[in-house]
Amino acid sequence: MCSRVAERPEGRPLPEGASARESSFDTRVGLRVFSATACHLLSRDLEAPSPEGTQGSRPSSALCRADVAQQFQFAVRVIGSNFAPTVERDEFLVAEKIKKELIRQRREADAALFSELHRKLHSQGVLKNKWSILYLLLNLSEDPRRQANKVSNYATLFAQALPRDAHSTPYYYARPQTLPLNYQDRGTQAVQSSGSLGSSGISSISMCALGGPAPPPQPLLPGQSHQTLGVGDCLRQQLGSRLAWTLTANQPSSQTPPSKGTPNAVSRSMTRSRREGETGGAVEITEAALVRDILYVFQGIDGKNIKMSNTENCYKVEGKANLSKSLRDTAVRLAELGWLHNKIRKYTDQRSLDRSFGLVGQSFCAALHQELKEYYRLLSVLHSQLQLEDDQGVNLGLESSLTLRRLLVWTYDPKIRLKTLAALVDHCQGRKGGELASAVHAYTRTGDPYMRSLVQHILSLVSHPVLSFLYRWIYDGELEDTYHEFFVASDPTVKTDRLWHDKYTLRKSMIPSFMTMDQSRKVLLIGKSINFLHQVCHDQTPTTKMIAVTKSAEPPQDAADLFTDLENAFQGKIDAAYFETSKYLLDVLNKKYSLLDHMQAMRRYLLLGQGDFIRHLMDLLKPELVRPATTLYQHNLTGILETAVRATNAQFDSPEILRRLDVRLLEVSPGDTGWDVFSLDYHVDGPIATVFTRECMSHYLRVFNFLWRAKRMEYILTDIRKGHMCNAKLLRNMPELSGVLHQCHILASEMVHFIHQMQYYITFEVLECSWDELWNRVQQAQDLDHIIAAHEAFLDTITSRCLLDSGSRVLLNQLRAVFDQIIELQNAQDAIYRAALEELQRRLQFEEKKKQHEIEGQWGVTAAEEEEENRRIREFQESIPKMCSQLQILTHFYQGIVQQFLVLLTTSSDESLRFLSFRLDFNEHYKAREPRLRVSLGTRGRRSAHM
Amino acid sequence: MVSGSGAGALASAAANLNAVRETMDVNLEISRILNTGLDMETLSICVRLCEQGINPEALSSSIKELRKVTEALKAPENMTSYLETS
Repeated sequence: MCSRVAERPEGRPLPEGASARESSFDTRVGLRVFSATACHLLSRDLEAPSPEGTQGSRPSSALCRADVAQQFQFAVRVIGSNFAPTVERDEFLVAEKIKKELIRQRREADAALFSELHRKLHSQGVLKNKWSILYLLLNLSEDPRRQANKVSNYATLFAQALPRDAHSTPYYYARPQTLPLNYQDRGTQAVQSSGSLGSSGISSISMCALGGPAPPPQPLLPGQSHQTLGVGDCLRQQLGSRLAWTLTANQPSSQTPPSKGTPNAVSRSMTRSRREGETGGAVEITEAALVRDILYVFQGIDGKNIKMSNTENCYKVEGKANLSKSLRDTAVRLAELGWLHNKIRKYTDQRSLDRSFGLVGQSFCAALHQELKEYYRLLSVLHSQLQLEDDQGVNLGLESSLTLRRLLVWTYDPKIRLKTLAALVDHCQGRKGGELASAVHAYTRTGDPYMRSLVQHILSLVSHPVLSFLYRWIYDGELEDTYHEFFVASDPTVKTDRLWHDKYTLRKSMIPSFMTMDQSRKVLLIGKSINFLHQVCHDQTPTTKMIAVTKSAEPPQDAADLFTDLENAFQGKIDAAYFETSKYLLDVLNKKYSLLDHMQAMRRYLLLGQGDFIRHLMDLLKPELVRPATTLYQHNLTGILETAVRATNAQFDSPEILRRLDVRLLEVSPGDTGWDVFSLDYHVDGPIATVFTRECMSHYLRVFNFLWRAKRMEYILTDIRKGHMCNAKLLRNMPELSGVLHQCHILASEMVHFIHQMQYYITFEVLECSWDELWNRVQQAQDLDHIIAAHEAFLDTITSRCLLDSGSRVLLNQLRAVFDQIIELQNAQDAIYRAALEELQRRLQFEEKKKQHEIEGQWGVTAAEEEEENRRIREFQESIPKMCSQLQILTHFYQGIVQQFLVLLTTSSDESLRFLSFRLDFNEHYKAREPRLRVSLGTRGRRSAHM
Repeated sequence: MVSGSGAGALASAAANLNAVRETMDVNLEISRILNTGLDMETLSICVRLCEQGINPEALSSSIKELRKVTEALKAPENMTSYLETS
């Protein structure tokens, strides 16, 4: 067996072409040579003790033959696995390591000898793979002082089960559990496999870890500059410690093994050293291993010993690992960073695919990514630090080594950052757009300046899209909000005529919390005004012209620093834009569309402000309107209207207003006369229709109807009065009629008083007061909404004061009844007058006839004629009491109704109505008749108020 | 020319052999310093393997492994032999 090896000439020239650099080493040749080595080793070692116990060794060596074969096979596999060397192929680096190792063993003389030998070796060009040989020798070197416990270590190692399944893949054998490959290999493998996971940040780190001599870590973050300091220290301290070693080497006390006498830090570094990893128990995890694991866990990758526990949703050190409690605790504390990282990463990964998440969400994700990138930078720095230590091999710079405690300190700040981010992510779950910005804003209210600046930074990124929406909106009136994130919502189905009222609304949930409700209302108004000008008023003035002042003052792009002084600049800008835009809009409406003129026209025509016109119109319309409603024709009435306009002061109004004036016939119900269906109308369209909406116009029509009716009552009473005046003289010689006529007068006067007071109330207390208020408010209005609100308030007031609202329906019914009584009186009086005048006519005829007969010289009257005359007179006189009683009934009804009305008025909650009751019953005429009115007004009002 | 070249080749071969021997001496010395426990034969085999481009890590680990195994095999033998001699 051995002879075969011995036959080979040692100095045989090496085969060319076996490139030393190539890791794929010629397996066939290599195996043959190696088999020789293995045989040599095994046989020599086994047979060495045989001289001592020849008999005993025989059976045992035969027994072990199978084991030997297996070991051989296994060794061949290890060699044959194309397992690339992971160490740096640098002869000098290896030589340095050897020197360090020797120095560590306190063999400075040997170290000097070695460097001499190495120099010699280097000068000869025979060997190509010098580093390889040196490395091999280094790996095989033994510390002579530890020979003592070597056997026991081997024994414990061997106690571990060797892998029995020899048919597994070679790769598996390349790193079996018990194979004491140094840790570095495994670490690098893990890095390689992790690099394939594809996360950009992680792969960049693994690149960094694999790449040759680790680049000096750069100061990437201002907050982490202490790390660079650490590296610098490390180099300095290496020199220092080398000196220290040489100094202490002379002292006798230093002869004690460093693992015993030296302080804790030294022993820790010893555990970190590779040899300890080889000889120690495989299950025991060194701190170095934990540090490596932790660095992966930081990136959310399971380490060898620290794994994500899905059930408990946290990282745990594997239970069976043999680890001191403090290390375990520290590791778990550090692993929290990985958990936080995972959480943030999961959020951003989920959201980055979600298209509907919107711009705000995207910028939030971008901000998170930015933070994660910083975090990855830190990790890469840590990795390169670790790499640097590995390259230096034996760690002399004790202070600079990467320990769990050091990591704990270094990751303190990043941990706070990640914690804040994770909390943000939690808080922002399921939110988007302005809501998300509010959620982030809520986190800026923290007392910790560090956290606050972080969140503020994120907020400035998150709010950037919101602000760009905002500026587009308030400066251009454009709404490009594909994902419904902005707090102004637009309804595309709304037509331009309802643009102001319905098209744009505030999305309450999307208002960022740094905007007040008032601000957002203004923002809505600004954009709405611009759109209104463009679309409804067809005003194409560029917006820059409208609000030239503000825009030139500050470009809208500097969104980020805008939030630093939200209170002043932002508010000021919105206010300025609001003020300018609204002012411009009102100017356009007033000048181009003469909004205020139209408002006044409404008052003059629909609210009967133009007295001469209304009176004349009524005069002209009277013959038409007494006819049944079905026989009316709009064109006739329109003609009359035009005549009335031409004849009165209305003709001086602008044609623009008169053009809009029209007649309208309401729906006809059976029995209606023209009075019931006639109505004036005012056409509104274009921009002013925004103020005079359809509802407004219907209000106007109702009020007009009421006023028209009241006006007609006045008109009727005037007619009645006229009849009195005309007929008084005629009927003077019919003394029997005087009682009836007196009654008639009294009732008519009562009605006139009533109607006059009502008219006074309506004209002065309702219309004029409200109008004055409206006018003031319109003059002071800052935006169109103010005008609309004032106008609506005006309409509401006059509707309710004119008893047209639902609350005063009873009053209105009473009033209608009063009006009916007036019409009744008119009819009754007309009938009386007709009868009286007819009677008068007959009597005159009779007298005339009598005179004529006398002139003719005949008898004035014959008996028959006189009889006839007397009978007629008697009949007439008999009809007078009937008239009287009719009037009395009328009076009774009327007074009853008025009393009822007064009672209702006094119990009304409206003060002006209660005062109206005073005026109607100024001399307590009704109070005397109606017991319910006798109760004092104050108590009654109060009681009703309580009720 | 041919003989000259042959003589040159011979001389160079001799020089080469010399250099190789020297190199091996140096290697042996280093090995001794580092206390690797390799004898001349094993060392030469290892050197040749390394020149072939073997992974030194793998080689070293397998050598250690083999050593451990032999150690472990030897231990009971020693025990038994000790028992027998006593």
